[in-house]
Amino acid sequence: MQTWIQILLSSVSLFFLMLILIRLMGKRNIVRMTPFRFVSYIVAAVIAAIMSLNLIANLTFGFIALSVWVLFPIALDYLSLKSKWVHDIVSGKETVLIKHGKIMEENLLQTRLTAEELLRELRSKNAFSLADVEFAVMEDTGDINVFLKSHKKPVSSYDLGMKLAPLTEPQTVILDGNMLNESLFSLGFNREWLEIQLETIGVSIDNVFIGQVDSSGDLYLDLFDDSIQIPQPKVKEMLYANFEKSQADLMSFSLETKNEAARKMYSEHAEKLEQLMEKLKPYLLR
Amino acid sequence: MTVASQIKKTLATLKGNQGTLRLYALQTRDKESKLVYNETLEATAQIISDLEERIKVLEYQEPQYKGN
Repeated sequence: MQTWIQILLSSVSLFFLMLILIRLMGKRNIVRMTPFRFVSYIVAAVIAAIMSLNLIANLTFGFIALSVWVLFPIALDYLSLKSKWVHDIVSGKETVLIKHGKIMEENLLQTRLTAEELLRELRSKNAFSLADVEFAVMEDTGDINVFLKSHKKPVSSYDLGMKLAPLTEPQTVILDGNMLNESLFSLGFNREWLEIQLETIGVSIDNVFIGQVDSSGDLYLDLFDDSIQIPQPKVKEMLYANFEKSQADLMSFSLETKNEAARKMYSEHAEKLEQLMEKLKPYLLR
Repeated sequence: MTVASQIKKTLATLKGNQGTLRLYALQTRDKESKLVYNETLEATAQIISDLEERIKVLEYQEPQYKGN
């Protein structure tokens, strides 16, 4: 057999073999890998490259070496899942770099990180001033994660004591002018529902680039033709405003009527409606 | 505008709200929102029925304004 056919055949078969093997080795992101894992990937890749170029006389030797470098990391992964001890030895432990706002110099030395590098990492986490950092840790992957002092952390709705309506992820129902049946059905809607929605807005589906349905069932559209202004869903705000109006009406009725029983009925309902609106506010307005 | 027709206007607004609210209660995927919507629906239904009662009384008292 000619050499080039040999190389072609072995390269193609190794291409698919490596595809499967690398998939077997896991899904982890290449930048978030421990250094040793990175090495095992590279060794497996180099062995495959040598084999595909027919640089070793006996292919069996190549397969033996390849299987060791592929199977051992997988085996170590399973062992680390089972035992914390193995995990600590294989991936190492995280190192605390800053504790209570003070840099731990010995740990810095142990990770062989210079002060400049530490500061650069902190800056990349948006902590420009060392005074803002309460705690920083170097993960086993070499990433540095920062916990800011409580008064420097971004404000959440919890800090403000504000209740927010829970939101689930929006579902994309139209993509490039095509209806996506699967996501539409998972929402419990059908094609007719979407057609009616599009008709009320007044656009044809061919003109829609992306259409998403949010957790409350409102449809948001982005059109190909950006000159067309479409009304964005404001139904919930309108609903809240209408409730506000009704509540004010009930209040004025209760003030106007001379019938004692009716006055009581009106004011009771006005009060009840006010309470409900307070409850509805996070769902309708935010 | 008579009192009865004012109440009727409010009644219409409330009924519209009820419809919109029912739609949201049906199409929302979040359990908690659904609960709040349904609670509001019940209260709105109560208010609507009380207002309708009141309109009946008013129309009985002042039959000359009936239907306005």
